[in-house]
Amino acid sequence: MTVTPAPDSDIQDFADMSAALTGFQSSVLKPALDPVQLARTYYTFAVSQVGQSAMTSLLNAYRAIKTQPAQQIADSLLETSAPTPSQQAFIAQSILAMWYLGSWYPPGVLGGGGFAPPALQVVSSEAYTNGLVWKVMQSHPMGYSPFVFGYWSQPPGSLSTFGVNADGGAK
Amino acid sequence: MRKLIIIAALAGLAAAPPPASPPPIVLSPMIPGDANVTAATVSIDAFQPDFDVYSWNTFIALNWPPGPNGNADPKQTIGKNKNGDNDTVWEHYRDVSDIFLPGGAKPAWNGPTQIPDACKPVYKPGMHVMSQVGKNLLTPTVVSAMSEPFNSGPLIDQNGVYTRFQIVVNKTMFDYILANTLYSKVGQKAFGNTPVKFTCGTIDGNGKTLVEGAIMVKSSWKVIAPSETSRFHSEKVLVYSPASQNPKYPAQCTMKTVGLVGLHVGHKTQHASQWLWSTFEHVDNAPADAEVKSGNLKAKYNYYNPKCKDCKANQIPPRPWDPTKVSSFHSQIVRMNQFNLPIYAQSAAARNADAHKLLAGVNAKSVWANYQLISTMWPTNPGNCAAVPGDPLGTPAPTFLANTTLETYIQGTTPNVSSQCIECHNNATMTTPVASDFTYVLQRAQ
Repeated sequence: MTVTPAPDSDIQDFADMSAALTGFQSSVLKPALDPVQLARTYYTFAVSQVGQSAMTSLLNAYRAIKTQPAQQIADSLLETSAPTPSQQAFIAQSILAMWYLGSWYPPGVLGGGGFAPPALQVVSSEAYTNGLVWKVMQSHPMGYSPFVFGYWSQPPGSLSTFGVNADGGAK
Repeated sequence: MRKLIIIAALAGLAAAPPPASPPPIVLSPMIPGDANVTAATVSIDAFQPDFDVYSWNTFIALNWPPGPNGNADPKQTIGKNKNGDNDTVWEHYRDVSDIFLPGGAKPAWNGPTQIPDACKPVYKPGMHVMSQVGKNLLTPTVVSAMSEPFNSGPLIDQNGVYTRFQIVVNKTMFDYILANTLYSKVGQKAFGNTPVKFTCGTIDGNGKTLVEGAIMVKSSWKVIAPSETSRFHSEKVLVYSPASQNPKYPAQCTMKTVGLVGLHVGHKTQHASQWLWSTFEHVDNAPADAEVKSGNLKAKYNYYNPKCKDCKANQIPPRPWDPTKVSSFHSQIVRMNQFNLPIYAQSAAARNADAHKLLAGVNAKSVWANYQLISTMWPTNPGNCAAVPGDPLGTPAPTFLANTTLETYIQGTTPNVSSQCIECHNNATMTTPVASDFTYVLQRAQ
């Protein structure tokens, strides 16, 4: 069976939506010079988990409000004020977690006792090393470091050098 | 690469149209001070050809015939000799064994070549160390290294002979080492905790080289028969194997004709604080994985036997490793697909075709047309001769890159494990625990 790659326009919308969800700029999640192609990897993986129809519905929901401020987009897609978020909001949560942790958490499956739910799986080695959580921490994952020997004796670079949008906007 | 910073700042552009043709590869003795990014759109597909043109222009300039002072002679042309081969500029660079001398002695750019005791009897009368050059055909190069990075194992050709390796640096890099006394352990200790920062190359607005940055060249060589010299850049060298206790063998030094099979070039440029990494191989080295699967094979390779159906690919030779003997084990090497985007192989193939046509136009017998670019690794988020703190690797493209003669056993796509020029060299330090700016050579200081 031949799988047709998702069109670039869908990947760009996915990255733009993810920017609103994560607080990172879209140009960080999907840079113009993008050898890692993480946005496409995540999009493809999410579709394999939730189906094309659910992903298209979520993207359409984003497209309908994409001119709003990032925080409003995030609140709307994540249904932060709803007592029982919809399945679509749970998918948005899983996508948000995937960007930060590089792992896929099944939508709507919550952890207990203060613990996060078990990840279904780490998406890829690139996802593991490029999790946004490491940028926010100005650090690196276990077993992989992009920094030179002895970096620990120096102050970390500024948040902006890690691509963290310190003022909170997503655009 | 001068436009990269500016263009990258314009990120957020719409999907790029198909890449336009990059500037042509040129027959020039000038080593590019940096990649000249001409692509009008911002994408890996658009930029990679410009970097591959840089690599071929670098290859041609490095392999340009030198004049008496070792620098490129603009009156000559690469491959124009009757036999299609020529002495090269980079072979007049300084071998690391002549920089990091016993006792931490001070080296000199035109100093004598270090000749091990075992090699001295092999000298023939009249073989002098030329005062103005590091080596040429009358001054045998000593090649001794026989294991690949991290001692991952030797590479043994189809004749059972061990492949040899050599590292040289250009004068820019040598001068920095000399000026900062990094040639000795004592000097490195005195250097303190200051980060090592080799000189960056620069180009002007027209792409002309203003300053040649620090350059490292790592080469791999196989012993060849005289009848094979028409396909290789070849040299007569002293092949030296230091004495070993395990396995036990005495030092051995023999004069052999060797052919170039692999060439890595690392160049620190103005806009690539992580350096630009170009890797070339002889076209007969090994088939690609896809070629093995399809059965589209040549009759003969340097490191692959197409008739052997039971030979496992890319196996580390069994120990003991004894480079003084002809081995019954022959490496069966296959080039594994390491690229996550098709542009890398596509661009290299297109630039190889262009370069081969150009070189064959000089001389149909040019040995240089028997070398192929595998790819060029470049940082997509480079900084300006200083790494971005949060992204010191610069997010390289391609994400992995291996030369089958130099990273034979670490081909793959596993971070921190598989061959990745920038990531690996970023771990380098001096003999002190101080980062050494993407080079391991400073660890050789005594």
